[in-house]
Amino acid sequence: MEYTRKLTDKLSVEQAKIELLNTAYGNDQTFLAKLDPRTLFIWYLFFGLAPWFIHNDTVLIGLFAFMVLTTIMAKVSPLIIFILCLGLLGQGGYLLIAALFFGGGISTIMPLVMLTLKLSIISLASITVFCSMDPEKLSDGLLKIGVPGQVAFSISYGYRMLPSLLEEYHHIFLSFRLRGKAPEKHGFLYIRSIIYFIKIAMLSFYPLLLSTAKRSRTTVEALETKGSFYAFNNPKVKAIKLAHLIYGPRDYIFLALSLTYVISLFGLTRFY
Amino acid sequence: MNQIKERYVLTRSQKMMVFILSMSLYGLSNMITELVPSIYLGPIEFSIEYFAFIPLTLAMLFHPLYAAIGASLGEVIFGEIMLGQFGGFGELEKFIAFSLAIYIAGSMVRNPKNLRQVGFAAITGVIIHQFISMMVDIGKVWIGVEELEAVPGLAESIVVVEGFAFLNDILFSGILFALLPTLYLVPRLYGKIEPLLGMKPRDNTMRFTTKEIVTPRLVIGGVILALLAFLFEFLSETDFNVEWEADFVETFGAGFVWVSISVAAIIAILTVILMIMNKNKSKHTNGPTDKRNIG
Amino acid sequence: MIHQIEIKNVTFQYPGGMQPVLNDVSLTVEKGEFVAIMGGNGSGKSTLCKLLNGLIPHYYVGDYSGSVRVNGLATEETSVAELSHSVGYVYQDFDNQLVRARVLEDASFAPLNFGYADYKERGKKALEQVGLVGRDDEFIWQLSGGQKHLLALAGAISLNPDILIMDEPVAQLDPYHAKEVYDVLKMLNETYGKTIIVIEHHTEFIADYCDQVVLINEGKVEWKKPTQDALRLVDQLMTMQIYPPQVTQAAYKVGRLLRGNSVTNPLFESTKPYPVTLSEAMEFFSEQQSEEEPTEITQEPKVMEKEPIVEMEQVYFSYKTITRSKKTILKDINLTLNRGDRIALVGNNGAGKSSLMRLLTGLVKPEQGTVTVDGLNTNKFSPEKMADLVTYIYQNPEEMFIEDSVRKDVEFFLKARKVPGYKERVDQVLEQFNLTDLEDRDSRLMSGGQQRRASLAIGVAMNPKIILLDEPTANLDIATRKHITKLITSLKNYVEAVFIATHDMQLVAEWANRIIVLKDGEVLHDGDRESVFTNAALLKLAGLHPPQIMELSRGLQIEPISYTVDDFVNSYSQILGEENKDGVYS
Repeated sequence: MEYTRKLTDKLSVEQAKIELLNTAYGNDQTFLAKLDPRTLFIWYLFFGLAPWFIHNDTVLIGLFAFMVLTTIMAKVSPLIIFILCLGLLGQGGYLLIAALFFGGGISTIMPLVMLTLKLSIISLASITVFCSMDPEKLSDGLLKIGVPGQVAFSISYGYRMLPSLLEEYHHIFLSFRLRGKAPEKHGFLYIRSIIYFIKIAMLSFYPLLLSTAKRSRTTVEALETKGSFYAFNNPKVKAIKLAHLIYGPRDYIFLALSLTYVISLFGLTRFY
Repeated sequence: MNQIKERYVLTRSQKMMVFILSMSLYGLSNMITELVPSIYLGPIEFSIEYFAFIPLTLAMLFHPLYAAIGASLGEVIFGEIMLGQFGGFGELEKFIAFSLAIYIAGSMVRNPKNLRQVGFAAITGVIIHQFISMMVDIGKVWIGVEELEAVPGLAESIVVVEGFAFLNDILFSGILFALLPTLYLVPRLYGKIEPLLGMKPRDNTMRFTTKEIVTPRLVIGGVILALLAFLFEFLSETDFNVEWEADFVETFGAGFVWVSISVAAIIAILTVILMIMNKNKSKHTNGPTDKRNIG
Repeated sequence: MIHQIEIKNVTFQYPGGMQPVLNDVSLTVEKGEFVAIMGGNGSGKSTLCKLLNGLIPHYYVGDYSGSVRVNGLATEETSVAELSHSVGYVYQDFDNQLVRARVLEDASFAPLNFGYADYKERGKKALEQVGLVGRDDEFIWQLSGGQKHLLALAGAISLNPDILIMDEPVAQLDPYHAKEVYDVLKMLNETYGKTIIVIEHHTEFIADYCDQVVLINEGKVEWKKPTQDALRLVDQLMTMQIYPPQVTQAAYKVGRLLRGNSVTNPLFESTKPYPVTLSEAMEFFSEQQSEEEPTEITQEPKVMEKEPIVEMEQVYFSYKTITRSKKTILKDINLTLNRGDRIALVGNNGAGKSSLMRLLTGLVKPEQGTVTVDGLNTNKFSPEKMADLVTYIYQNPEEMFIEDSVRKDVEFFLKARKVPGYKERVDQVLEQFNLTDLEDRDSRLMSGGQQRRASLAIGVAMNPKIILLDEPTANLDIATRKHITKLITSLKNYVEAVFIATHDMQLVAEWANRIIVLKDGEVLHDGDRESVFTNAALLKLAGLHPPQIMELSRGLQIEPISYTVDDFVNSYSQILGEENKDGVYS
């Protein structure tokens, strides 16, 4: 339990805010970030699905290496990787325990490692892709493939509001902490402290509900005057907005290189 | 004066406000719950699964549909995309199941001041959501039936485990993060939050009769949505049978790898073609619109 | 003649409202005017402006009658979107009006929505007009408050409307940025011929920039007059809790005093109108230049022994930016705060004021150096522990409200600690801050002044040794500000030291016994008010704007410098009196 406590200490709201904003916006200078969103969607369509159907260790390890490389290229924030690892370990562990419980043996470990590997590839692929698209790019891309305008708007708006909301939530949370009283004893397995913090985390939403309600009124008025409702699903506006999405040489190069790599991976398996 | 005397009807902008409110707040809460690590005690999971009370509260106070969709979208945007955990097709299942559950829960509340009604609706919402999830999970294993029978008793234990998880979620998350906070918030916010959005509180004489809630459209829609949810979940997680995968490969041989790779490649190529076609189509449809706008 | 804006007999009531917000309102505005709308809280100013861009009656479906024509368009028959080509609107909470992530995107959002292929150019042009250049690709959250305001303005003029409405431009900004915004408005008015309508109660800005004033009271338009005439109606304005510019008040008070004393003085016998701007006042008051002997500056008796309560030694503080680089906020701060100090922390935005205060709360820890509060090193104690000693009152009072009623908020701290007899203590605090009648209200739904009072009450109920206030008078109208200043003055009775970060130089001048000037994370000056306000070079360097009355008395070389209108009236009438005795004017 000690380690979780230390981790939660490290995961301060402030730190989380910086890291999350970094995930959102910090990476717009990488090679991947300069690709057309459609290129990234196609790439993800393959690397996010194909691993399910691949059962060859060598290929999976090769793909994993490739994903690690693209993840590095995408300059993904460490926190995201950390959360991913935690999730994968948790899931793998849970499945292992369940499998052992229902009569599996040591033999179940290998398939589980394989599963974790697959999950990692798929997660890293989605991290690579979605961290390389800033909100505008993602919403433009989604708009292009036919997702309604409201969704695209909501994404951009979400990113716009996130810093303010997090900040406000943090302030309210701090008000609770500073004016309330944390339990004197942590209790068994820190249970008292955990309950205390969870309770605050929930109570903090009451003030936030009211203040966000105030905000959204102005926001929607502004949307109204800026003609957003008229524009959401207007094909002409969509065309103007997406006029900048053009395939460039780098898109083709990236797709071609990825393809070559995958093919050579499978080629490699012939020798093993 | 006419408008405000009518039944509870929201303008387009008010719906948008509810949507934005639900999206940003539930999204934010989702981001927070995602960041808090969960504790496993064997198959029992003690985690803050979700702060379902936020969309539940909003759905009961305002328009259920917009609160529900807003919340689901908020979850996808804040809790998945922004954290780099966007899971592709699997998100659609969650989206649909959750929207449906919140919508039904919100529609069940006639009088937000009636605590029994609010509590009943809140827990029903959670049950619906968890039930759909459970059915999808169990069904998924059931489909891979040959492998399942290879291990005696596994089918039963999956049902037991899933059923246990279902109860666990309802009793733990459902009560702590949906029922109690909703009971706390709804009466506190009722009549207070609506004027901030420039609306009248939901009329407590408003009644959705059972007939009104359980319309044929809702039933059919619900069934279709549940099926779709199941389908998407199945599509995205056909992998679940990993443990039995080894002999799967043996049966089909390594050649199967190529088949599956080709399937993925074909899907990718089809998408590209569809996109190009779409582009051409939109060019065609754009032509006349442009002219109309200019002329 | 066709008026650009013509409001005829409009009555409007919000859905669910008890009485009409606008009651038979009629008003006309001509093209190219720069109009200020004044009126007390809840007088219907914002509602009036929302008539013009069609939000009423299209968006707010209430009880509406009468007619509004804007640029020849009847608003009832024209959609909000269409009207936005004629009317731009900047909200008081402009932050929420920015909906896109990046600067240029937000500025060009409206042109894009209306399908202009050159939307980016339009956005850029609007950004140029407001002077927000070179930041096109920055994210909105990277901008300062002032820049966000300019961006909201750019968004409002991106469709090139003829009319621009701005709701309380000064309220959320420090004086420097407020002036910047007004300069932009002036330019839009003069160079581009736009009609500007501002909702404003800072009459000094009105005097400097506007040419017409509309007074609204209880949903009715009292009058519309040229600025000079309007601001001279001191009596009428004061009864509505609107304060004319300080120089106008000074002239009015001097005049009344002299008339009351039946001292005859040609200056005030003539029908010479009161001045409304500083330059007018210089002329007005300096018609008699005197050789008055400088009176001795009466220093407050120095506190004999200083007992330190806070010590900061070689404190450095920096934070991580989005690019993961460090940004230094505070450099080598060495400060000792003593019991009985009433410290004002002043300096531009970004000078490090808030960071310095947060260091005292223990919420953030210094990167280097130590902060000791009442013997406790903040590095070693949790914020919860420090909260027993130090209370921090947020700039935005809403962030202090965590409960659903004023009473619950005030008692939260005491109740959590199960302090015996807390009920009586809470009663007492509520009484003291005049909140007893409001105790069951939700704090968030109260007026700005009431919210501020509640936040102070929460702080005092925590019974701290030190109280920290962040911009306690920001975003308040002047009448409320005066009231809050009084309450702040009373704080010294309950705590050992009060520490305020503020832009409000009037508050500083009237309240502080020690002023710390910060610039770029360093202490530029630490001294009493005389040492700050008589030092023109320091004021300029730190970007401080002293109140108008101080500028006037400095311009007239009246010594000691006047900090308030009453100070000035006293000094000035003394001078006049002396001259009268000398027979200069008899």
